Amino acid sequence: MAISPAPCPSPCPVPAPVTTGRVRVDGVAIRYRGTGGHWVEALAPTDLVLEPGSFTALVGPSGCGKSTLLNAVAGFVPVQAGRIDVDGKSVAGPDPEVGVVFQQYALFPWLTAAQNIGFALKRFGLSAAERRSQALAGLAEVGLEGRGNMYPGQLSGGMKQRVALARTLASRPKVLLMDEPFGALDAQTRASMHELLLGVWEAHRTTVLFVTHDVDEALVLSDRVHVMSAGPGRIVETLDVASPRPRRVDDVDATYLANRNRIMRRLRHAH
Amino acid sequence: MSAPPGETLVVREAGGRVAHPALPALAGAALARLGPGLRAALAILGFILLWTLVTASGLVNRELFPSPGMVWSAAVELWDEGALGSDLTASLGRAATGFVLGSVSGILVGLLTARTRVFSVALTPLLTLLRPIPAIALVPLAIVWFGVGEGSKYFVIGYTVFLAVWLNTHHGAAGIAGTYIRASRSLGASTRREFFEVVLPAAAPHIVAGLRMGAALAFLSLVAAELSGASSGIGYRIQEARQFFRTDRLFVGLIELGLLGALLDVAFVAVSRRVIHWEH
Repeated sequence: MAISPAPCPSPCPVPAPVTTGRVRVDGVAIRYRGTGGHWVEALAPTDLVLEPGSFTALVGPSGCGKSTLLNAVAGFVPVQAGRIDVDGKSVAGPDPEVGVVFQQYALFPWLTAAQNIGFALKRFGLSAAERRSQALAGLAEVGLEGRGNMYPGQLSGGMKQRVALARTLASRPKVLLMDEPFGALDAQTRASMHELLLGVWEAHRTTVLFVTHDVDEALVLSDRVHVMSAGPGRIVETLDVASPRPRRVDDVDATYLANRNRIMRRLRHAH
Repeated sequence: MSAPPGETLVVREAGGRVAHPALPALAGAALARLGPGLRAALAILGFILLWTLVTASGLVNRELFPSPGMVWSAAVELWDEGALGSDLTASLGRAATGFVLGSVSGILVGLLTARTRVFSVALTPLLTLLRPIPAIALVPLAIVWFGVGEGSKYFVIGYTVFLAVWLNTHHGAAGIAGTYIRASRSLGASTRREFFEVVLPAAAPHIVAGLRMGAALAFLSLVAAELSGASSGIGYRIQEARQFFRTDRLFVGLIELGLLGALLDVAFVAVSRRVIHWEH
């Protein structure tokens, strides 16, 4: 397994084109056994390609299978049909090359912020001192200098999610999966997290798959938006967002509005 | 009963006398402002005072219900005989040994049953059958298996501790949030690391709760265990005091058990606050 170089100090030199982190979802269908014992079709056969270094959003109502699809790419749930591969390697289970950021943060409350990041660094066989210094550098990257010794219970929701992002990035994933990561945050914190995430994404150039039910969030962040619908979960529309970043929800252009209207209409008439 | 707005609510007692409803509340508020140590000391002093008054009133037979002074003399007498020290050593040694045996095996078995599906399924009916068996009912079996020596005492205490620790550990380790496990795996942790760095600390609050319950149970079963032909120990001394009709000595034993149990629990809470600091 190749280890990518550590993040460069800012300002970054012009990044080389990204060649790793290509995700291919090929005819993937997911079913699970419901409470009554009958099978629930969570995801109808679905195709999806995430280009290396791209930012893709899955948007749709709850029950549309967007999280299920993300969990399948993460290797958390088995697929009943089709295959998923990352850079040609079939996904057989959770893998540090495919990092996940959860809505509930999933930080370990018994570890400090720095130790949480150190958890992800352990697989590189570093010394404890090196782990510590890399963990602190990771915290600084998400704007949390000097918070290394704080426990998750002492941090706000936004700070927790920053630590969680730094922890996932510390394992140097080629693909970053984010499952409604900012769903529990207030609007203001959410906007600053968007800025932070885009900055980090530009520095690391990982492929991002971002699940949300918030259409604006999807449009502000992504290159491509897949609209999903329930019963069974499937992709009903795909659109590319070409506007340059940074994009702002409070300063939108005609293209943004057209895209937004199109997605909203699609969500309303999905059934 | 409704009071007109703006007027203070008064309670009229049966004799037409007006009672001040705030008086007990005032006393409670004054007590609450004291430190917990001082509050405990005051409560105990108040209890001893009440006890003295009851025994001094002549309403009770002091042969059956000795006064605090008589109990204190009995304690001094036991201390001078050397029985108090040797009882404490014997009982604490038994409780500690049984506790260590029961809690170590309880934690190990609990982790195993929680993380292995076969055991997990078989556990509930098994526990439903085992839990109602009181420690005292195990004493005859313990004597048959281990004789009247220390082994049977360790068995009775260890078994009751084991059951509590096993149950709590199992629930703690079986109920770990799925996202912790998912996060751990997707961050590249091996099964070994997942167990020691995620499962164990995540279950720690439940394990500690089980150990605390186990420590209390060790004292409860201690007395039962010492029925199996002991020649020392607090439980033995209580039995002996009954045979010689020495209620004063009997009270000494009961107070010893209460004090030891309370001290142990306070110490346990203090230690567990440090071990599972993130829970507070």
